[in-house]
Amino acid sequence: MKIVVLTKAAVPLSSAIKIDPKTGTLVREGVPLTSNVWDRDAVEFALKLKDKYGGEVIALSMAPPSGIPALESLIGMGVDRAILASDRVFAGADTWATAHVLAKTIEKYVPDYDLVVAGEETIDSTTAHIGAQTASWLGVPYVYYVYDAEIKGRTLIARRFLEDEGVDEVYEVEMPAVVSVLKGSQVPREVRLSRKLNAREYIQIVSNKELGLEPDRVGLRGSPTIVAGLASATYPPRKKVVIQGEPAEVVKKLIEVLKQEGVL
Amino acid sequence: MWVYLERREDKLKDVGLELLGKARELAQKLGGVEVGGVIVAGTEDMAREAIYHGADKVVIIENPELKVYTPVEYAEAIAKVLQKYKPEIFLIGATKRGRELAAYIANTLTTGITADCTALEIDQKTRDLLQIRPTFGGTQLATIRTPQRRPQMASVRPGVFPKPPRDTSRTGQIIVERVEIARRRTRLISVEKRLEKDVADLPPVESADIVVAGGRGLGSAEGFKLLIELAKLLGGTVGASLMAVRAGWAPHTRQVGQTGKTIRPKLYIAVGISGAIQHLMGIMEAKTIIAINPDPHAPIMENADYAVVGDYKQIIPLLIEEIKKLKS
Repeated sequence: MKIVVLTKAAVPLSSAIKIDPKTGTLVREGVPLTSNVWDRDAVEFALKLKDKYGGEVIALSMAPPSGIPALESLIGMGVDRAILASDRVFAGADTWATAHVLAKTIEKYVPDYDLVVAGEETIDSTTAHIGAQTASWLGVPYVYYVYDAEIKGRTLIARRFLEDEGVDEVYEVEMPAVVSVLKGSQVPREVRLSRKLNAREYIQIVSNKELGLEPDRVGLRGSPTIVAGLASATYPPRKKVVIQGEPAEVVKKLIEVLKQEGVL
Repeated sequence: MWVYLERREDKLKDVGLELLGKARELAQKLGGVEVGGVIVAGTEDMAREAIYHGADKVVIIENPELKVYTPVEYAEAIAKVLQKYKPEIFLIGATKRGRELAAYIANTLTTGITADCTALEIDQKTRDLLQIRPTFGGTQLATIRTPQRRPQMASVRPGVFPKPPRDTSRTGQIIVERVEIARRRTRLISVEKRLEKDVADLPPVESADIVVAGGRGLGSAEGFKLLIELAKLLGGTVGASLMAVRAGWAPHTRQVGQTGKTIRPKLYIAVGISGAIQHLMGIMEAKTIIAINPDPHAPIMENADYAVVGDYKQIIPLLIEEIKKLKS
């Protein structure tokens, strides 16, 4: 079993974000990046399959070199090795152009893959696009929101949960295939510090020199979508009326508020 | 201008009809272009329903093999129809299934897609679709364009746009398209309704006008029962912070915030919730926020319309009593 885990070195939500004034995209260069939190479910899912069926788990990411620490922590979790597709021409990519690089990297460096696993979505962009787009680029079937799986020959038996319908479904999926892992469905194993310390030697960095993709099909230039504007989201200002005092008094005021709001 | 009409068993989901309403509005801005809809393995009744809600033309993809939803086969069939009819714009409801299909369809058509738009507009100069979506944890609002490729694709969460009125005098064209699937690669072998142990028989947190939510400050599952009682009295539902979910007082489906649901209720009552930024992101669009917390400096209090300083154990039972009195 060869399992590729797609992972994003994401800009932590707590950090001050920088926007490239020319492209309107988020600057990832020179910003400390952390592994997308939902990818840890994907890694755990992949490692469990490896524990059961043997094989190798390879993490794959497209990021500037500042994405290396994110991969190191996944290696600390037990991923065997990682590939970082990194090149200035990849910068500013939308999901279409990102999935393009990921799929071509898989085809070139892990051509005998059995399964590609992605997190349900990323914490910073939350599109949930990459799994399906990578499947499309690779020309293989896919299923989202999977939380448990077994393998029978060349078939993946994938169990998934659709939260909005409250329904569990089981699919037979022909391998190789792509699955996304239901966020919060796994208990990710701890990062082993001893392993993380030596992680750098298990990371292979590939640039577009090796991949040889047409520059107008990658990065900002290759992206079908462009960010035409980015503004701080504005939300309704709050009244900030403080209500305090004896409980009976407070409740009296609350009743007034509920009447005003048309609730009572 | 086309819309994907998602079907669940024998009924169209509301989100498709909501998008038809928006599509009509955008079509007018484009000088009255046609509004189309596509249903996989649907019936003429469903197609008529779509026409009553704003479609001029509905394509029913016919193939007995597609009666049951499977992701890759559905995505390919829809892409084939779009290749034939070549709409300029294609909108898709961002349900769990819709999100699964959208990016694959876009890729098959070599076009881009924008996820979870909260607003859609037309740029009068270029006639481009402006796809507006919150990003980076809801702190930023991005306007996305697809300048070169067609169709311009966007997904939209259910409930973002209102469902247009049903007008049975509307007429339109129904076309049945036979679409072959190359080779089946995914197969559904079982479906089971999950009997989630929910805290109460109350509506989902994302669909209620009034949400009473609890956090770590409740201290116990017992405290949550008080919130359920209050929610029922107000005709609303209950929600929970991440901490309350982790404590096992409420299921994950009721979690409000960045790692749970983003909601837009008319009234949000936060009880014992400190208001971490991740939680606040999920309630930014609530019309009115009431926070009940003993700590006047908790972040939720700074972000509330009414910051009630006090112990919920004293306030909520009294409030319930008063509301009952008013109602009787």
